[in-house]
Amino acid sequence: MALERYESLTRLAARLPRDALVMSTYIGAVSFEWAAITEEHASTAQLGQMGDVIGLAVGLALALPHRKVVCLDGDGSVLMELGQLVVMGQESPANLAVFVVDNGVYESIGSGKSGPRPTATAGRSDLAAIARGCGVPYAANVQTVEELEREMELAFTAPGCRFINMRTNPGRARVPPRQSDGFEAKYRFVRYVEKLEGRQILQLARQDRQLMKR
Amino acid sequence: MLDAVAREALAGLKEAGIDFVSGLPDGWQRNLHELVEADPDIKYVPVCNEGVGFSVCAGAWLGGRKTALVMENSGLRVAAEYIARISLGCGIPVLLLASYRGDLGDTEHWAVPHAIVAEPLLDALRIPYQVVRRRDELRAAIKRAHRLSEAQLHPVAVLVSGDCIWQD
Repeated sequence: MALERYESLTRLAARLPRDALVMSTYIGAVSFEWAAITEEHASTAQLGQMGDVIGLAVGLALALPHRKVVCLDGDGSVLMELGQLVVMGQESPANLAVFVVDNGVYESIGSGKSGPRPTATAGRSDLAAIARGCGVPYAANVQTVEELEREMELAFTAPGCRFINMRTNPGRARVPPRQSDGFEAKYRFVRYVEKLEGRQILQLARQDRQLMKR
Repeated sequence: MLDAVAREALAGLKEAGIDFVSGLPDGWQRNLHELVEADPDIKYVPVCNEGVGFSVCAGAWLGGRKTALVMENSGLRVAAEYIARISLGCGIPVLLLASYRGDLGDTEHWAVPHAIVAEPLLDALRIPYQVVRRRDELRAAIKRAHRLSEAQLHPVAVLVSGDCIWQD
């Protein structure tokens, strides 16, 4: 039994707390579907790539401890850099919830005659167990809609550092590719955070600031 | 590094406005890690590899923190993958403060490859850098490196060696 990715992401988007920030992958099927579902809303930083999404989310969560931070990642990306789970476990930001779409394959590279190429989670590796072993206080595998709804309820209504591994079937929804590159996604997200938090992140040029004072 | 130099480095970080430091301690900068960890104005996030540390710093910058990654120059190789993805791909600044192991004066054979790779790697990643071998230059070098990194939205590196480490 397993979840469908597009339906799971749609449910996640519908449940997201208002003013939550999302750190998501920047390329691949998860990012295309999330971008389509959320219409590339500025509250999502589509900046992560293979092996750095959880690390980015941990940094963001530590920088803004009063803000709920949700991380969206894929199994291939998590597997590439398991050291991210170590820092997640060590720091355990109570405002961070990581949701992994674990379909057991490298789907974004396409399929050959033998089908999609499997990741290690199609074999013997269990990401939730690895997360627990890295010190993440709460880690669970979910494979039904009921389980996913329960975990989202917990993640979005109470503090706690959580790692939710969504076991999904391979297969992608027919959505258009996302429109923006990493630079545009960065500016869009940072401007959103500046407004939300009422602080300047992108610094003004010093000469310009001095001129404005005169 | 010498304890007095570690205090200079900390002063440089603080005067630059850096309030978030990640990194992996090494033999030369261990005392700086200790000072940073004890400083109430800086959030210190130790990591088990420098690539993860770079990602954590980049994420913290997106949330409004001023960040630095403190490491051995061997860590530049580990972090290079994420520097390329995050900074060349999106334009995010992080100050890199690295021991220049394998530079003139080093006594360790295992450090030799670290020096061979460091500067060409920084060039390949389009990261401007300054090699600081004089103690009285370190504080200003850190501040200036950070200023440029925020202006260009890309990392800038300071490599530490020479009199900062050795009293011969």
